[in-house]
Amino acid sequence: MRRLCFYILLLIVSFYCLGPYLWQFITSLKPDAELSRLPPILPDNPTFDHYVSIFRAHPFFRIISNSLIVACSTTFISLVIGSLAAFALAKLDVRRKRLILVFVLSVSMFPAIATVSPLYIIIRALGLRDTVFALIITYTSFSLPLTIWILTSFFRSIPHEIYLASRVDGCTVFQSFYRIILPLSAPGIFATAILVFIFSWNEFLFALTFTSTVASRTIPVGIALFPGLHEVPWGDIAAASVVVTIPLILLAFAFQRRIVEGLTAGSIKG
Amino acid sequence: MTFVKGKSHIFFLAPAILIMAGVIIYPLLNVIWLSLHRRLLIFDISKYVGLDNFGFLLRDDRFWNAFYNTVYFTVISVSLELILGLSIATLLNRTFTGKGLMRSIILIPWAIPTVVSAKMWEWMYNSDFGILNYLLGVNINWLGSAFWAMNSAIFMEVWKTTPFVALLLMAGLQTIDGDLYKSARVDGASGWYIFRRITLPLLTPVILIVLIFRTLDAFRVFDAIYVLTGGGPANTTETLSIYAYKVLFQTLQFGYGSTISIAIFICVGIITIIYVRLLRRGME
Amino acid sequence: MKLNKNATKFVFLILHILRAKLCPLLVPVLCSFIVFQGCTQESSTDENEGTTVVFKHGKVAGDPEALNALIRRFEESNPDIKIKDETLPSSTDEQHQFYAINLEGRSSDFDVYAIDVIWVQEFARAGWLRDLSHILPLKNRDEFFHGPMKAAIYQDKVYAVPWYIDAGVLYYRRDLLEKYGFSPPKTWYDLVRIASEVTRKEPNLYGFIWQGKQYEGLVCDALEYIHSNGGDILIDSQVVIDSPENMEALRFMRDLIFKYRVTPVLVTTMIEEPTRHIFGKGKALFMRNWPYAWNIFEADDSPVKGKVGVSILPKFSGHQSSPTLGGWHLGINAYSKHPEAAEKFIEFLTSYEVQKTLSLTIGYKPTLKALYKDPDMHRAQPFTTSLYDAFEHANPRPITPYYMMISQVIQPEFSAVISRTKEPEEALKSAREQIEHILTVED
Repeated sequence: MRRLCFYILLLIVSFYCLGPYLWQFITSLKPDAELSRLPPILPDNPTFDHYVSIFRAHPFFRIISNSLIVACSTTFISLVIGSLAAFALAKLDVRRKRLILVFVLSVSMFPAIATVSPLYIIIRALGLRDTVFALIITYTSFSLPLTIWILTSFFRSIPHEIYLASRVDGCTVFQSFYRIILPLSAPGIFATAILVFIFSWNEFLFALTFTSTVASRTIPVGIALFPGLHEVPWGDIAAASVVVTIPLILLAFAFQRRIVEGLTAGSIKG
Repeated sequence: MTFVKGKSHIFFLAPAILIMAGVIIYPLLNVIWLSLHRRLLIFDISKYVGLDNFGFLLRDDRFWNAFYNTVYFTVISVSLELILGLSIATLLNRTFTGKGLMRSIILIPWAIPTVVSAKMWEWMYNSDFGILNYLLGVNINWLGSAFWAMNSAIFMEVWKTTPFVALLLMAGLQTIDGDLYKSARVDGASGWYIFRRITLPLLTPVILIVLIFRTLDAFRVFDAIYVLTGGGPANTTETLSIYAYKVLFQTLQFGYGSTISIAIFICVGIITIIYVRLLRRGME
Repeated sequence: MKLNKNATKFVFLILHILRAKLCPLLVPVLCSFIVFQGCTQESSTDENEGTTVVFKHGKVAGDPEALNALIRRFEESNPDIKIKDETLPSSTDEQHQFYAINLEGRSSDFDVYAIDVIWVQEFARAGWLRDLSHILPLKNRDEFFHGPMKAAIYQDKVYAVPWYIDAGVLYYRRDLLEKYGFSPPKTWYDLVRIASEVTRKEPNLYGFIWQGKQYEGLVCDALEYIHSNGGDILIDSQVVIDSPENMEALRFMRDLIFKYRVTPVLVTTMIEEPTRHIFGKGKALFMRNWPYAWNIFEADDSPVKGKVGVSILPKFSGHQSSPTLGGWHLGINAYSKHPEAAEKFIEFLTSYEVQKTLSLTIGYKPTLKALYKDPDMHRAQPFTTSLYDAFEHANPRPITPYYMMISQVIQPEFSAVISRTKEPEEALKSAREQIEHILTVED
């Protein structure tokens, strides 16, 4: 009986999360004339036209690859730099720890609309307009607060004795960091990786301002370019949103095991 | 036995601090500088007015309307997200077939690009051909009535960001030693007792982070509501960020717009300090 | 150095962790992507001979190849000029925001740009547009429609050239009107009468739908009632928004929903596309919208193909119909480094031949009056030429650099009236105070 309850709950949660996405998928299969007809829920004449159209009418492959580059780079750099900083704040003897953490946090306390203008001037001055590097740098700085805070917390939750023990065993600070502490906080690292990746994948305001051609255009701007002056090709947009969400789901699926595995090493106990 | 005293932490901290400072310093100074000026290009005005803008802000009805809307939005949405996220994380924190799949599915709302999900919900909320009215069999004007508009926006935001909460809480739950549960059960403790006395306290650091970042984001919410209602009807869903956006980019009042941005920053800062104070006790 | 070795090991560990479940080829693939990107980065530096003119505009509706062909034609006849075409999202908010960020930062990154008719005054005042009076001498100005031309002149100087025109029109179900023996309404009360009668007899049909969400479109719609009742917002910098005519017009809008019940309450969430969808499914008798929807209704798979008629918007008796003017102009960035080349390009794009080509290929509504008498246009684009009256009568929104501020004031007020949060008197009085405050702030 309890098992049945459990599975029912699972079903409700699945529907809650999946429902609108499924509706997008169904919409993407409807021809234009049927887009706003309800009933029926399912299309009378399902078609893959919209999927074909998004790749034919727009350079979507290039756009997806831009997003991939930006997101992967941002995630990688944020994790590297962020975990270093988090380690220092969690395990090392740093003065004014709290001040630094608050400074880190304040970076993400500003509304983006206030920072986009001056940042654009910097980007232009550096000659980085319409490049992926502009986006990577910006996204990294805005992802660092979240990264540092999450990883600091995870590093802190590892008992200090383990760190001390590893130092006694002859590790340098660095070695302790990457041999002992990092693997033990794999859940935090993977969770952060997913969040940073998704943030870079979906960010719109800076992408719109800093890019101007396909050379650096990312997915959100690409989708924003679908509508014409008044007309909104809702079928195409639905198809595009289905397509661009799939890599994220695959990524999450790949990572979620590592989030769970975490403490199999057993070095925590005893 | 070599304990490094003091210096190596600089290498660890330097890259992060340098990048963040480099990117944020100029915008920060720029915003502060602008907020002390009246800069209205279409009036040909650009002059220093000191704290006048802030004085005007305190008397600005529209600002306080936006402030109230933002507070309402933040309090309700963050509470709902926390409760839902915690429930989902606890639910999924056990072994069962399809566990991997489930854990990926719950990320979908967070994964859909905001430019799309807001329009998608606008489509779903449509009173005529929206699926919501169809499935529920009602004819509610979700986005057009002063009452429903804000709550519809909240529901959509909660849907979208619950995965963020659930993901972090799941990761946090993983770090809790299973043995603690076992020994508690052996001692005869009920599920609820375990949750309250073991899980929650150990999860507090992660909950703190979730609360801080979710509150930061909810307070600065823009895209979600702007696409859904544009701040309407009659400014009943206008939040601080939307107001700042309109002032900055629609009416080109760069000075006052920066002032509003600083006000947002200060509000968010105060909230964060409160959180950190409250949960500092929980962390030690 | 020990530090380096450890650091590299650390980096590889992170890579290893990240690649644990991913394809091992991912990282090399990414690296090659980045290299590939670097090699094919389009350079914006000019070649030795010739100048590059950057043309920034919202997405062109329809096949982009039409515009590309025209650009190639221009480059052929002007071998020392290259055109770089950059699109922005069609959302007017996003474009305005983009231009504000760029031009506030004195960017020279684009030379020719397309601007909404309501921005010309504001951009001219802010010093973001170059004076174009010399390429449009007085006699040439009459060739354009009166409304867009007026909107492009600030302090007697021309700052932009009209490129594309738009105006509100009334769509109606010809088949239903014929069935019940009605002809298209001339006055607003006619419309109410017809809509009430027909919807009483036809099930599942809305009477009249329009755009009522709190956004710029609401101002467009509302002005069509206000102007056609003889009222206005500003007359020569005098604020007259709280006149009795305006109150009557706004009250009428609200009554459409709540008293006459010919408009469903959901219009308070509607912008152009949702209303187009509803009418296009056959669920409405009348719709106010822009002309773009016509082609969609006449497409082969449209449920209302052949059943739709278009007429000029109704008015209040004793006054004139007053569709709101929309459309886009072309201007030159005041900070542009190639103004002469840019001017040539604008002259090209707004010339008779090019406007005709654009109209025939993608259905652009041209701004040169003579085109509406052109026999080729009559034959191939009869719908466009039939809109001549609507465009002639189209009334622009208040022509002042402060229009965007005024719009931000009146949008919530109008929205409050039609959502019954405020009475028209209260809303208009509040609007008047705020607008006066805006106009007197000039110390």
